[in-house]
Amino acid sequence: MSDGQTIAVEVTGIEQITPLIKHFTLARIGGGALPAFSGGSHIVVVMRGEAGGSPRVHRNPYSLLSPPYELDTYQIAVRRMEESRGGSHFMHDRLQVGSGLEIAHPVNLFALDKIARKHLLIAGGIGITPILAQLEDLHGGAIPYELHYSVRAPEHAAFLARLRAREGDRVRMYYDCDGQLIDFEGLLAKQPLGTHVYVCGPAGMINRVIDTARAGGWSNSHIHWEQFSAPPVGDAFEVYLARARKSVHVLPEQSLLEAIESAGVEVPYLCRGGVCGFCQTRVLEVDGELLHHDHFLSDADKAKCNTIMPCVSRARGKQVVLDL
Amino acid sequence: MLVTGIKSKPVYAPLRADTGGRYHLLLGFGQGGEPLLRILDELRLGKPRSLAQTRIFYTPGRDGGASAPETFGASGAAETRFFDSSGLLLQEFRSTLERSLMGTRLYVAGPESFIGLAMKIALEFNLNEDEIRAQECGTLARRVRCVHCRETTEDVRTNIVRCVGCDRWLLVRDHYSRRLAAYMGVMVDAEAPGELPQIREVFL
Repeated sequence: MSDGQTIAVEVTGIEQITPLIKHFTLARIGGGALPAFSGGSHIVVVMRGEAGGSPRVHRNPYSLLSPPYELDTYQIAVRRMEESRGGSHFMHDRLQVGSGLEIAHPVNLFALDKIARKHLLIAGGIGITPILAQLEDLHGGAIPYELHYSVRAPEHAAFLARLRAREGDRVRMYYDCDGQLIDFEGLLAKQPLGTHVYVCGPAGMINRVIDTARAGGWSNSHIHWEQFSAPPVGDAFEVYLARARKSVHVLPEQSLLEAIESAGVEVPYLCRGGVCGFCQTRVLEVDGELLHHDHFLSDADKAKCNTIMPCVSRARGKQVVLDL
Repeated sequence: MLVTGIKSKPVYAPLRADTGGRYHLLLGFGQGGEPLLRILDELRLGKPRSLAQTRIFYTPGRDGGASAPETFGASGAAETRFFDSSGLLLQEFRSTLERSLMGTRLYVAGPESFIGLAMKIALEFNLNEDEIRAQECGTLARRVRCVHCRETTEDVRTNIVRCVGCDRWLLVRDHYSRRLAAYMGVMVDAEAPGELPQIREVFL
């Protein structure tokens, strides 16, 4: 995916739906249907801003939460991050109705398994967004499903009214403020054969669901999760792109992928969150250390130090040479 | 030739216990008893507690090499059941899956036609490849589905077979359907009626 293949959209609606979450409606500039997608898909939003007087481009993945059968608009929800690298603040502070944006075509890395006998959906906080679109795909179908949705407090429960009205008692709410915790062990232990679990939320929740399911004998093909990591901030470092013959300086709050892109070299990507593996890049030389932050490579592959996911991972040391 | 190099032909491997599972369901037919006993040994050594969550369904078959009831009796498995036919066994298997929970691992050992029928049922319950292990032992006789009349001819040992449904001569392909638990049979003399390749016993 490169910026040449993006779709120009404008913001047609902005709503503050919780103290931290804004809901955005996007429509194609000039009108017309947007590309079809399935529940669980995300788009990458390209934000052209500036920092310290020079242009600064953010590309963040956001899940599509609107019904997959409505293609006049896309809807996304963005949580304002306290320690933002700039993307969520751009979305919250700089956009107004009528603002223009570019988006990449939808990609689904969190798809429902169509031959499941039951779907068990678990959401924490803003992790509800891909699940809202999945629920639209499931609603009215023959396969049973239920949602367990955990938030800090009632005022943080985005889309609760919509969920209650549409899904009724298939939704179970858990409020941290009242000490209500999801009993993952009990929940996962009683599921009928052929159930698939889907979890989206904070890293701790995702890890607990995966670990509890595996300990309970669930096989990997029935466990689905999505977590887009924001590229972590780190020390500045240098990389050399062997084929382009360019040295690139990576700033502390910039991702390696962003730095490579601003040097004019394109790397194919889909999620920009360490999940899909699309931007995997060969490391030819490393004098120092690779700091892997992705969810894609196995620990064994990470230890080999010959490949990196530049969307979230960084390096430390004197010199890193990439096969780009 | 139509019959070789087809990717849908199932590949089997010697059975190993998967100690990552919480419940273990073992199905055996005829000579399939031996591999099941090996699974039970592995569970006993690797995860003794799991024997209390292990069930064995077995039918002796008619090929010889059947395991005796008492060999399973000493295994420590929670339940061992013997069936007079594979049909009865698979019927009970289905109703067991209705009540089963996530965390179940399925092991099947026996002739391919038995494995195929068990897999077909498992598929209806969305058991995936990472939850099923199968080892082929015993006859290679095939179930053959006629692509013309859709009848299934059982126990096929020859490369060419006459369809029980429509009397056509069928070439038995390696093209396998997991959903139907059968190999595809295609009319072999459509262009030159009566001209048949040599019929040989190949699935023994």
